[in-house]
Amino acid sequence: MLSFALRRILQALAVLAAVSAAAFALFYAAPADPARAACGPRCDTGQVAAVRASMGLDQPLLTQYTDYLTGIVAGRDIQDVDGSTLHCDAPCLGYSYRLHQPVTEALVDHLPVTVSLAAGALAFLVVFGLGTGFVAALRHGTRTDRLLSGFTLIGASVQIYFLGYVAQWGLVYTTGLLPLPSYTPPATDPAAWAGGMLLPWIVLGFVNSAVFARLSRSQLLETMDEEYVRTARGKGLGRLRAHLKYTARGAAGPLVQLLGLEAGALLGGAVITETVFGLNGVGRFATEAVEGQDLPAVVGAVLLAACFVVLFVALADLVIAWLDPRIRLG
Amino acid sequence: MAVVEHVAASDAPPVRPAPPGLLRRVCRDRTGAVALGVVALFLLLALAAPLIAALYGKNPTEHYGQNAPGLLSDGGLPIAPNGGISGEFWFGLEPGLGRDVFTQLLYGIRTSLLIAFASATVTTALGVLAGVAVGYLGGITDRVFGFLSNVLLAFPTLLLLLALSPVIQSRLVDPGTAEPEWMQFLVLVLVFSAFGWIPLALSLRATVRSLRERDFVQSARAMGAGGFHVVVRELLPNVRAQLLVHATMAVPAFVASEAVLSFLGVGINEPVPDWGRMISRGSEVFRADPTYMFFPGVALLLFVLAFNLLGDAVRDALDPRAAR
Repeated sequence: MLSFALRRILQALAVLAAVSAAAFALFYAAPADPARAACGPRCDTGQVAAVRASMGLDQPLLTQYTDYLTGIVAGRDIQDVDGSTLHCDAPCLGYSYRLHQPVTEALVDHLPVTVSLAAGALAFLVVFGLGTGFVAALRHGTRTDRLLSGFTLIGASVQIYFLGYVAQWGLVYTTGLLPLPSYTPPATDPAAWAGGMLLPWIVLGFVNSAVFARLSRSQLLETMDEEYVRTARGKGLGRLRAHLKYTARGAAGPLVQLLGLEAGALLGGAVITETVFGLNGVGRFATEAVEGQDLPAVVGAVLLAACFVVLFVALADLVIAWLDPRIRLG
Repeated sequence: MAVVEHVAASDAPPVRPAPPGLLRRVCRDRTGAVALGVVALFLLLALAAPLIAALYGKNPTEHYGQNAPGLLSDGGLPIAPNGGISGEFWFGLEPGLGRDVFTQLLYGIRTSLLIAFASATVTTALGVLAGVAVGYLGGITDRVFGFLSNVLLAFPTLLLLLALSPVIQSRLVDPGTAEPEWMQFLVLVLVFSAFGWIPLALSLRATVRSLRERDFVQSARAMGAGGFHVVVRELLPNVRAQLLVHATMAVPAFVASEAVLSFLGVGINEPVPDWGRMISRGSEVFRADPTYMFFPGVALLLFVLAFNLLGDAVRDALDPRAAR
């Protein structure tokens, strides 16, 4: 297990290094004028020149990239447009000339909202997706199965922004069943936090649970036919106990994998959900950075999201290996 | 020998190769038939949009509400109930500019479908090329591709699409000059194509890798067939079903992605009609006039749902084992 974990972690680190290189190439080398793209539309020629010097765009590309990597590992000094120098601490993802703030700092400010949103939506996704999948598999071929499958297909087809506005209209404005979505730090008022996030959790969780529900249904159906499950049933183990003890474990692999991917993707910022419900998380921050032509902030957000995906996919692989010895030994 | 042949020929009814029959098998499933009907209806509406608009007597760009009095209130909202639905304006009027919603929706199908079909074609072609080549070659190519796809899949799709559109734009259009209409389409297709081929390539790679070891491929190689023959004549026909299912599923995915980008303001610009932008505009006024968001939202839901159901039906028709 330890050697498997080590190999997997090394692989994840290699992917991260490649991701950072790809992001750098895409955003610093590809645009016609990166300094203009970083400084935004309101900068005059002098400011753009200052940004060009500050970002080191007059240096060779390789030097720029190594400077960037050094910043991530050890931090670096950066000059703002007005000439003042400041130190950007260890995971330095660059400096936003629009916000006059290191990108890492800005991202950390927005992270709690996104983490709250992702955690609640994931919890809903697992409970709802697994529940519908399990019931549909148990009642395979019946009307319940068809009904649930149709329901999940609607979830897979509906646009989250449309559902979000409709739900807000029906549950908040018209009937007042739920409070207006908002973010309150859980430390100050847990009840307000849960109440304000409830609708976003449900909407985001429901839309994302469709794929998960379909996969869990087909996985469970497949495993239920396995010899060892039928043996357990034949020995006289009750239906529910047999399925919970044997089927669930056998079917877990692909589900954990999908869950890892979903978790990583959600933590990188749910751009549309945050926009629809007016939550100021990482996704909203990233879209504002794109709109304000704030290149360093965009790259920072992209890298953060990619880190989450790589991290959680690796984590899922470790869980799968722990569940299934064939993988860690094979 | 001659006798046997004669007997066989006279006894058995003339055997003809079964017609491809995919359409018929899709239609045998009731859901599949309905889905196919809805998709066909949308296609027809898109093709016949100018004709329908001419018969209906409106176009998607004219500001009816501003030009004629009595349609919009001072605040820019339609005066008639339910977003201004009337015998003259079937789906109501756009708040503010006062354009006709029905024709905007109609022409919006064309925008969505054009981008979705173009992107699906490009990504399918790229995916087949990469997937079959990598699966067939194996070895170091396979490992490099595996690593590369891990890297590319780590990127957040939507954020990347958002951030890339301006980058590609800055390469294609000089700053300060207006972007021609077709360029907006091209940018979106390019952005979708850049990453959309990876899932297909990954799944084809796995299929080809297992096909490569099968007897019929081995015999073809033993008989001296070259790589080109094996790929084109032996492997490609065997992944056709997978390809078709993927292409059917790719169209609604691209329609949805295009709508998201337009919703977020980096897709298709005015005055080209677009569903995502309509929903975005509708979201600004949806407390006062929910109708304006209702039509494009429901249209998009129906469209994507029908295509997804059709994709399911095609998969079931091609691979009965998957049906369950």
